[in-house]
Amino acid sequence: MEQNNSLPPFPQGLASPQGAMTPGLPIFSPMMPYGTGLTPQPVQNTNSLSLLEEQQRHGMVGGSGQTPQLYHSQVSTTTALPGNTPLYNTPLTPMTPVTPATPASESSGIVPQLQNIVSTVNLGCKLDLKTIALRARNAEYNPKRFAAVIMRIREPRTTALIFSSGKMVCTGAKSEEQSRLAARKYARVVQKLGFPAKFLDFKIQNMVGSCDVKFPIRLEGLVLTHQQFSSYEPELFPGLIYRMIKPRIVLLIFVSGKVVLTGAKVRGEIYEAFENIYPILKGFRKTT
Amino acid sequence: MPSSCPECGSSNVVEDDLYSQRQWVCVDCGSVVSEGHLTTTVSDETQGRAVPYHASTEVLKKPCRNLIAGFSRVRALCRILRLSSDMESAVVSLFERAYNHPNFIFVTLTKKEILGGCCVLSVCRQCNWPVAMGTIGYLLGVDNATLGTVYREFTKVLNIEISTIGIMDMLESFCYDFKLGPQQVEEVFAEPAQRLVDRTSALIELAADAWIVTGRQPLPLLFAAVYLAWQSLNPTVRMKYTFVKFCKIGQAPKQSWHRSRDSVVKRLKELRDVLCKLGRELPWLRGGAVEPNTVVPLVDDILKNRRALLMRAVRNHEQQLQNESQTAQTTECDDELSDSNRSDSHSSKTPELMDPDQAGCENPPDKEATDCQLPPNHWSKRHLFLPPCVKSRKRRRVDAPQLEVTGDEEISDGEIESYIRSQDEIETYLKVRKELKNKA
Repeated sequence: MEQNNSLPPFPQGLASPQGAMTPGLPIFSPMMPYGTGLTPQPVQNTNSLSLLEEQQRHGMVGGSGQTPQLYHSQVSTTTALPGNTPLYNTPLTPMTPVTPATPASESSGIVPQLQNIVSTVNLGCKLDLKTIALRARNAEYNPKRFAAVIMRIREPRTTALIFSSGKMVCTGAKSEEQSRLAARKYARVVQKLGFPAKFLDFKIQNMVGSCDVKFPIRLEGLVLTHQQFSSYEPELFPGLIYRMIKPRIVLLIFVSGKVVLTGAKVRGEIYEAFENIYPILKGFRKTT
Repeated sequence: MPSSCPECGSSNVVEDDLYSQRQWVCVDCGSVVSEGHLTTTVSDETQGRAVPYHASTEVLKKPCRNLIAGFSRVRALCRILRLSSDMESAVVSLFERAYNHPNFIFVTLTKKEILGGCCVLSVCRQCNWPVAMGTIGYLLGVDNATLGTVYREFTKVLNIEISTIGIMDMLESFCYDFKLGPQQVEEVFAEPAQRLVDRTSALIELAADAWIVTGRQPLPLLFAAVYLAWQSLNPTVRMKYTFVKFCKIGQAPKQSWHRSRDSVVKRLKELRDVLCKLGRELPWLRGGAVEPNTVVPLVDDILKNRRALLMRAVRNHEQQLQNESQTAQTTECDDELSDSNRSDSHSSKTPELMDPDQAGCENPPDKEATDCQLPPNHWSKRHLFLPPCVKSRKRRRVDAPQLEVTGDEEISDGEIESYIRSQDEIETYLKVRKELKNKA
């Protein structure tokens, strides 16, 4: 798919066939005239006649109104080519200006590990916290300090805050499934204590992940180039606070190369945020 | 309150509100039964309540006393920091805006003082006037953390854009604060400020290259760098003076460095270690020992040639790694390394402190890394200069084994029962609690 042989120049009569040339990852420079052989173009059928046939088959006439599909995100907005059924699935890079520019590259190979999941669930009935604190072994309740029972279970190792309204917050799990299992266990404990507990509206509220890029990072450089997203105050906190807009994740980036990602509702947001930030961090790897 | 009129005997006596003097008047005959004082005494005035703004006919609200006191405090801060009159007026107007904001109008007076400091800090940042948070902190007598929380809230609430300030910006005014002019101290201690600035900035640049600056508090590092610079400009005489003595000679205010003394000592150690690593590369020493205690006389030479020395140090480190890998590994490893060395030598103009492409090989620990608990093939062992937080990990992180669950498993009754107290336990607990309450 990625062979970059230079194409034979097209006969002048043909409309610029960029519409049919989209399978694969074309890297066009919009300034260069097509078919000069200077811009690398993905190899298609080298037979121009078959190209014409293909074009007609796809029902495309003339490519003047169409913008070439650009993978390199720094140039301009992409539009899906109308009326084209691509032979291969062409990747569409999201072109929102709020995503830091990501050059075409393979993934970093590093997977952030989830460290903490915060979830909430509604037990659906009013609870008597004094009774719960008295009759449960793993509960603590100090109404002067905080108006909820703090309950802990061993497996999965989590902590829950149980309020008298029947709402519960479960923290400390390392995966969504563990969080759900833990919340169910807490609900079961409350049930066994004599309350008609249900399990309504379980929702993951926050996910925290962390990883290590394995090289030191020049935070001062990063805050200069990404001013609108970053906040770096070494007198207050040794890490740089990067507020990514898409996805809406907050990253804490440290000089040692460790990165903490938080604010996600789904796992994919953490992975996406890390894949967005990794090329930027790589740029600040070497001293200048 | 009189009940009957002495004139006509009627009991219909009412209090008359017509005049500014309280009078009790008989309704039937109209005579004044008794009256209050026309004027107030001093005791009445001090005990009486002032008319609040909303009940008066005042058109413009006068600024409250605390706000006026805040203004004078903020102006004093500006004068201490020698801000221009434009900046001072900007600070005052920003303070008024912040003070009257709903988030800050009801906070404690201490917090209002800190708010004044935040206004000064914010205006200084906007005008690129280098002031560290630590400086404002010690002028107000608060620590960075407290100042930081108020500052963060202040910028968020008033939508102020924060611009970061670099350590190099703070350097010049920091050096000029030390009173080391020839008229102020003895000849041997005196140092023209510009020389001190130049030497300190070279040291800070070196520290930045060696990863000592990023992520750290700037002020302790500045103190350490100024001290080393001052020593190195006349090492024979000044070597014996400690950091505390230096601060006394330079008349640095004690509150500014006293709290961060320990950090300054740590930074000094790190700076000296970096200087030693480079000092060893000086060719005219011919591989002689360079110790942290005795490296200061060499600082002049090291700083003059720091770029070259950095490159040499890194290259020698790479060489050392390569030699070790050649003895330990197979020929396949050698091929990889020789490839990466070739590619390294192409880009040898810039000092290469990172070598991401070398294969991970065993490496004898560095001299300073005696207390680090890093695993043997850790990536940090490939680099000569690294942020200290990487090399000396304080505690080993233990990852719990991951539970593979679906979230919908069966929950055994036994497990849940283990979390519930038995009846005996509850009774015992209640008994003990009652006894403790009776005793207390």
